Amino acid sequence: MKLRHFLHNRTALAGLTITTLFLLAVFFGPMLSKWSSNQHDFMNALQAPSWAHPFGTDSLGRDVITRVLEGARISLLISVSGVFAAMVFGITAGLYSGFYGGWMDVVVMRVVDLLFAFPAFVLALFLMVALGYGVTNVALAIMLVYLPIFARITRNMTETVRNDAYVQAAQVMGQGVPRILFREILPNISAPILVQATIAIAFGIVIESGLSFIGLGVQPPTPSLGVIMADGQEYFRRSPWVLTLTGLSVTIALLGLNLLGDGIRDLSDPRLKVRE
Amino acid sequence: MPSSLKYFLTRLSGSLITMLVGTIVVFLVMKAAPGDPALIVLGDYATDETVAEFNRKHGLDAPLMSQYLDWLGGLIQFDFGQSLSVSSGENIGDLLLYRLPNTIFVGVYAILIAVTLSLVLGTLAALNRGTSVDTSATSLAVLGVSMPDFWFGYMLILGLSIGLGWFPSYGFTPASESLAGAFYSGFLPALAIAAPMAAVFTRTLRTALIENLDREHVMVAKAMGHSGRFRFLHHVFRNSLIPYITVVGLQIRYLLGGVVIIERIFGINGVGSLMVEAAFARDFFVVQACAVVFLGIVLAVNYVVDLICAMLDPRRVR
Amino acid sequence: MTRSNTISRRSLLKSGAAATTVAMVPFWAGAAQASCSTLRAGITGYNVINTLDPGQMTLIPEAYMVWGIFNCLLKFDEDMNIVPDLAESYESVSPTVLRFKLREGVKFHDGEEMTSEDVKFTIERLQDEAFGSPHRSKFSAITEIRTPDDYTVEIETEEPFAPMLSYLTNTRTGSQIVPKHILENGSNEDFASNPIGTGPFKLVSHEPGAALELAAHDAYFEEGLPKVQTVEVPLIAEESAGVTALLGGSIDVTSTAPFADVPQLEEDDRVQVLKQAGTSTRFVSLNNSVAPFDDVHFRRALSYAFDRQAMVNVVLFGEGRAANGIIPSSISWAATQEPPELVTLNQEKALAELEKSKYGAGTEATVLTWGSSWWKRFAEVFVLQVNQVLGVNFKVEVSDSGTVYQRMQTGDVQASIWGWLGLVDPDEYAYEVYHTDGARNFENYSNPEVDKLLEAARRETDLEARGALYREAEALAIEDCPVLPCFESNVHNLLAPDVEGFVQLPYSAFGAQLSAVGNC
Repeated sequence: MKLRHFLHNRTALAGLTITTLFLLAVFFGPMLSKWSSNQHDFMNALQAPSWAHPFGTDSLGRDVITRVLEGARISLLISVSGVFAAMVFGITAGLYSGFYGGWMDVVVMRVVDLLFAFPAFVLALFLMVALGYGVTNVALAIMLVYLPIFARITRNMTETVRNDAYVQAAQVMGQGVPRILFREILPNISAPILVQATIAIAFGIVIESGLSFIGLGVQPPTPSLGVIMADGQEYFRRSPWVLTLTGLSVTIALLGLNLLGDGIRDLSDPRLKVRE
Repeated sequence: MPSSLKYFLTRLSGSLITMLVGTIVVFLVMKAAPGDPALIVLGDYATDETVAEFNRKHGLDAPLMSQYLDWLGGLIQFDFGQSLSVSSGENIGDLLLYRLPNTIFVGVYAILIAVTLSLVLGTLAALNRGTSVDTSATSLAVLGVSMPDFWFGYMLILGLSIGLGWFPSYGFTPASESLAGAFYSGFLPALAIAAPMAAVFTRTLRTALIENLDREHVMVAKAMGHSGRFRFLHHVFRNSLIPYITVVGLQIRYLLGGVVIIERIFGINGVGSLMVEAAFARDFFVVQACAVVFLGIVLAVNYVVDLICAMLDPRRVR
Repeated sequence: MTRSNTISRRSLLKSGAAATTVAMVPFWAGAAQASCSTLRAGITGYNVINTLDPGQMTLIPEAYMVWGIFNCLLKFDEDMNIVPDLAESYESVSPTVLRFKLREGVKFHDGEEMTSEDVKFTIERLQDEAFGSPHRSKFSAITEIRTPDDYTVEIETEEPFAPMLSYLTNTRTGSQIVPKHILENGSNEDFASNPIGTGPFKLVSHEPGAALELAAHDAYFEEGLPKVQTVEVPLIAEESAGVTALLGGSIDVTSTAPFADVPQLEEDDRVQVLKQAGTSTRFVSLNNSVAPFDDVHFRRALSYAFDRQAMVNVVLFGEGRAANGIIPSSISWAATQEPPELVTLNQEKALAELEKSKYGAGTEATVLTWGSSWWKRFAEVFVLQVNQVLGVNFKVEVSDSGTVYQRMQTGDVQASIWGWLGLVDPDEYAYEVYHTDGARNFENYSNPEVDKLLEAARRETDLEARGALYREAEALAIEDCPVLPCFESNVHNLLAPDVEGFVQLPYSAFGAQLSAVGNC
């Protein structure tokens, strides 16, 4: 996949632009803001959006846009760590079970089927009750939601390339199995995994905000996106901007990630279109 | 047809095994969860005797294995035991029976909306490939998957309920009381759940239709002189159905996930809102019952989708 | 669901509006009627009712319903004076003996007459350890209950016990009179879902998490009450949804209102807003036996370091008042009248106390909170302020209410956000929180002088003298800052424009007030 091709694909370019802007805003925005995310001003609570506070202020008089940027950092961190852990375990399991087949494949795929049979949010909710609330456990829930998806994709792809010439050549040359799996096979099947990872990070943010929104995920004062929206929900009728604008920011960020995922998919393999 | 029968049975036994393993996992995870059910219910008035009495009454003093088998035996007869704290003493099976129809109604309603929207948008986009119609439909679809469903729900409330006053923002009339009322009061929640699904369906349908439009037998049909409209419907649509139905089936996971949070926001007495309430009340028995019910629904729907696909395309069976 | 009553409920449903329809205002629905036979009174903000057995009730929504289904010997009138209810009159025979003359001809819902035996049975049931009532400690002072005849009850305590009268009122005390003839042989579990009382309403059905339905008790002893034939009680978990339901005309009364929306609602012609300072107390509970809260100077520094009025504005959107102590101002005869210096923001004194303390700036501690977002915000506002003023490093931890309560009781906590609502006697606040042996003293606070005053207050039967003792005790306790009193929240009811006859009491006497509602 050449950069030139990438830049000529409108979807990929739009996705990349939005995602880059989003990341820049998240990492540098809080520095530029003259407020900090926990700087309260009780006299200026629930101010409507203005030049000084583009997203208005919340119930404690804190600047909402600063909190959203800070919150996005936290939500992104949770989602990325959850997805990353899911990739590490899912890809490893998928590579081995696709390569060896047999009973190992059966066992791995049974576990995958099982995790896959739980509605994503139900699984996450169930884990929050079992493990308790908090940042780490939300990341853990995201991991368990995505683990089966990475395992299944990797396994299916590994199975299709298992008998390809380059894999057999490596075997003949006496390379060890881990080396074959991670050095030879993985780079060749990385595109669909990358696509999935982009979309997974987007959906991981939705899981985090959903759990925190109903009060079972991240807890205040940690300003995750879900926590900010949960606070805004309480006075939604009086000051609808907190929930509305925070959610709009989430939507735009996810739009960027989804477009980016779509773009990579179009470029790598136009036939791989079914979203999971 | 022995081979197809064998296929159905293999798939059925696969689903049943998954279900069985699922119940074991749910049971063990709940056992390992911190917090003692007896203390949750008895609270500060718990004494050693009352705790022991409680555990005896709920069979919690038995060995783990026999506790599980008891529970499983109950599950088979739709007996989930008694609620601990969310509706204490109430039979969980009764709670579920009362709420399940609402969840199913809203879920099916959402699928209907999503399918309708996607049929229109997907077909329009595929027939006008590369035009502004296509771009608008695809953009709308990406936007749809990018919105958190609960936030979209609140935007619907803001616009159509608080703003225009067309729909109620909270509460749901069960279909058994008034079918019209159920469709009316369920519209906003169903739409909120349907939006991301409609987006995924639209993209799937568009891709499948485009691929099949280019296929050879369409060319053949063209040569034979059928009208364009007939050709389109008959061949292309039929062949695009399998990936479409497969994706609709796969989306049931996301649908039910959305149901949980949307039911809570819109005050629908369904299994999803029950699970959230039970989570807050730390009612382990109800939480595990809800998890098992959701698991069962997903497995059942996936099985039915497999059957439909197998019927549409018998080659799959082999 | 009360199974035996399902059928009657269904038939009622056919003739009237749907009970579980909460905020539904179908576009084809008719206009509101001028007078009504069915009152739709939504319980808002809660949707869990575990029991309707007064002896077991703990949750506020449970009390809301119990108050309408049962009566007590006594009750509070509109001015919060204790007046007879099932009792016709009462007198102090001696400092330790109260004699009640019961009304004659009071009928339970099943038609049996209520007698002194039922009163004796009710209280002894509460005292019975096997029954495990959460209200047991309130009645442990009673040594004997005598029933000289069917309509006379004498209650004897070991020592004079002034709070007893409050404990016998129709509030959250559990002393609602239950029928001996049913419970003697019947099961308590059955009774919890099929309660039989003497109250103006009897239970028709209960769909857990969704709705209850009550019907008028035709043989109710108060002439002309209840005024409505049926009460539908939808359980609406979200307070804001209750507002929508009321504005849309699908309910007539709510049990609460969301703090944030009150100012807007007060301007709205489509709704009557009733509000007053509630009998409640919200405070930061400090565990006096663990660091850093084991140092009185540190506790004082904290108490000086935050602005309680700002809390009211931010946490309650102004719907409350800063507290002077933990005895609510609505119990005016015992509450502290002027804000003591130690419960007022004073940054210099805060820093001066911190100077004297063995803990300094940078001290870390965790404040535990729970529940819906305003409880979380409460903790945040406290922590933000003290961190800013004192330079300490406090953090918020959120859990669920059950866990917080359990951890407070076991002492597995440094500080927590807590409060009490709807308790009607100062003893329930002051004695139970400040006394060394107090049932709600999770702070491990102990001051012999305070204890002595509180014990004296329990024995003092003259209201004014008793109130003075509470004030004196609280003034002493506040010097030690075992808890940090913060604010009292208002109680609210929203009524449809034509609802008449609903009287709001500061302890939020929801179910008890429905019988007088005539128009809706």
